[in-house]
Amino acid sequence: MDQSQRLEYEALRIRMVEERIIELYPSDLIQSPIHLSIGQEAVAVGVCANLNPTDLVFITYRGHAFYIAKGGKLPELFAELMGRRDGISQGKAGSMHLASPIYGVIGASAVVASTISHAVGAALASKIKCETDKIFVANFGDGAMEQGAFYESMNFAALHKLPVLFLCEDNGLAVHSKKSERQSFDLATLVQAFNIPFYDLNEGFDPMKVFTVSKSAVGTVRSTQSPAFLRIKTMRYMEHVGPGEDLDIGFRPSGEIDRWKAKDPISNKTLISKHRDQIILEIDAAVKFALDSPLPTIEDLLTDVY
Amino acid sequence: MSTNKITYRDALAISMERALANNANVIILGQGVTDFKGLFGTTIGLHEKYPNRVIEVPLAEDSIAGICIGASLNGMYPINTHIRADFGLLVFNQLINLAAKYRYMFGGLFEVPMMMRMIIGRSWGQGAQHSQSLQSLLAHIPGLRVVMPSSPAAILASYEYAIEKYRGPVVMLEHRLLYELEFQDDVFISDTPLDGSRLIREGSDITVVATSVMVLEAKRAAEYLSRFGIMIEIIDLHSISHPDKEMILNSVRKTGKLVVADTSWSAYGVAAEVSRIINEIDPSMLAAPVINLGMQPAPCPTSKSLEDLYYPDVHDLVNAAATLHFNSFVHDIPLPEKQSMTDFYKHFKGPF
Repeated sequence: MDQSQRLEYEALRIRMVEERIIELYPSDLIQSPIHLSIGQEAVAVGVCANLNPTDLVFITYRGHAFYIAKGGKLPELFAELMGRRDGISQGKAGSMHLASPIYGVIGASAVVASTISHAVGAALASKIKCETDKIFVANFGDGAMEQGAFYESMNFAALHKLPVLFLCEDNGLAVHSKKSERQSFDLATLVQAFNIPFYDLNEGFDPMKVFTVSKSAVGTVRSTQSPAFLRIKTMRYMEHVGPGEDLDIGFRPSGEIDRWKAKDPISNKTLISKHRDQIILEIDAAVKFALDSPLPTIEDLLTDVY
Repeated sequence: MSTNKITYRDALAISMERALANNANVIILGQGVTDFKGLFGTTIGLHEKYPNRVIEVPLAEDSIAGICIGASLNGMYPINTHIRADFGLLVFNQLINLAAKYRYMFGGLFEVPMMMRMIIGRSWGQGAQHSQSLQSLLAHIPGLRVVMPSSPAAILASYEYAIEKYRGPVVMLEHRLLYELEFQDDVFISDTPLDGSRLIREGSDITVVATSVMVLEAKRAAEYLSRFGIMIEIIDLHSISHPDKEMILNSVRKTGKLVVADTSWSAYGVAAEVSRIINEIDPSMLAAPVINLGMQPAPCPTSKSLEDLYYPDVHDLVNAAATLHFNSFVHDIPLPEKQSMTDFYKHFKGPF
């Protein structure tokens, strides 16, 4: 496989994992909110393909795609979603708090924008330790850009010249509210006011285009050991939370998702039929691992409190 | 740890200096930590000595707290300072939603050792937003260690332990009124100084459980009452989140009478928690209702004449103890004159 095919395969793998989650959801094996990344997979795989295992990614509650793209394992993911003892966090985290420190996935928070500053702090630590081999990715959505912590974090990272990639997955929605209801600023101008290099991509459906633009952005952070900003337009196909779609509510422009899907290579039937069987086997094994794993007990309830 | 004639401020300055000297991963971040006043003299000269590790910050409490969490996740021990505890209210998202939960929520994958120093203001018209004591709000949250050191020895022991041994987030609530005070024969011995309480004085008649500066007021009240043959036992609660329950229970079993003297409001506060500890085990150990002394149920007023009425002091403690002792609001113990605590501590030349 060439780079483009590898990225498409990875994106498809993520989509099929989430489709399995949808399939399992009515069984109540997964009893927690799920925020699906379907439609946004290309962002995660395109960016993460430019990262080393030692680079740290600080993600959000819509985190399945980044967890998988950065190397997180599927059996522990499904076990975590099902609240099992062998889940990555023994069932205490669930879908909204995925993490995998060995692959550089630092914990996801369910409070919008609350991990952006963590990426900045980890970068500060790295600078104090005189490390130059790692970068730190703060992953957030467009809604996070209305939080004070977003501005505070950009200010600090720019002031102290810290190796942080601010990565905005711009799906245009905060739950159900549109950007036009929420934002008054021009993002490029805003980012430039902090003297942070700004990279922008509208074709967030295309893993290879994401890969190429993030290669530049990641390269800038690495070479300058200073922040860069990458905004990628993307499309959330599913409802904000839960296994369904939200097209029937009528709050999104009709045809918007269809036009996006038409350009989305992961929705391509040829690609799907080529890799489908292999990925299904992998997911089956992961689901089996989860189902075979015991539920946590009273012994686990109060461990790791502090 | 025992100290001889040093001030509360000295102990804080020594703790900060030692933390940086002995631990290459300690960083101090806060508003004013690099300026010439050095956070009431507790960080003076440290930025010059450790320019990369003592860091002035933008006025952005929320993200600075998050930056501390991120730095901690990447191997640092951050000490984040708040010149007034009230500004600490701006870090509650990071402290409560993230730091307190980081280890548990991820099933032990991460640890976030770090310290928040919050200074409780008092006197000279600090007013409603420079005077709050946040211990009850914070100690309510599982995952946080909340400590109110009442003396230099308590500071030296707890800060060193927090920084060098303990692997979670700690909130240190320091009291500004104590900073200038010199303490003598001050001893604090504990293997785990972020947990537990201190028996400050033994007595057979009444137990006073006190926090922070109220421990000193309790000592003054105990001295005063001893002249009248009333023997006060004083417990410095010290670890607000993890007090020594057995110490409290044993004392109240002995005396049967309890006064709780706290620096904050009463509702859902320290006295409520101490009462819970007793009531869950055996309420019959109480021979009389508990008396609680805390701030009046209002925001703190600025005017000194109101402020002096707002806080409880030695006068109220003596009255409370005498009331319990004689089981009557009417008793023969003359009360010490109601004197501004601020005036007393500002002009008090110690040592305690």
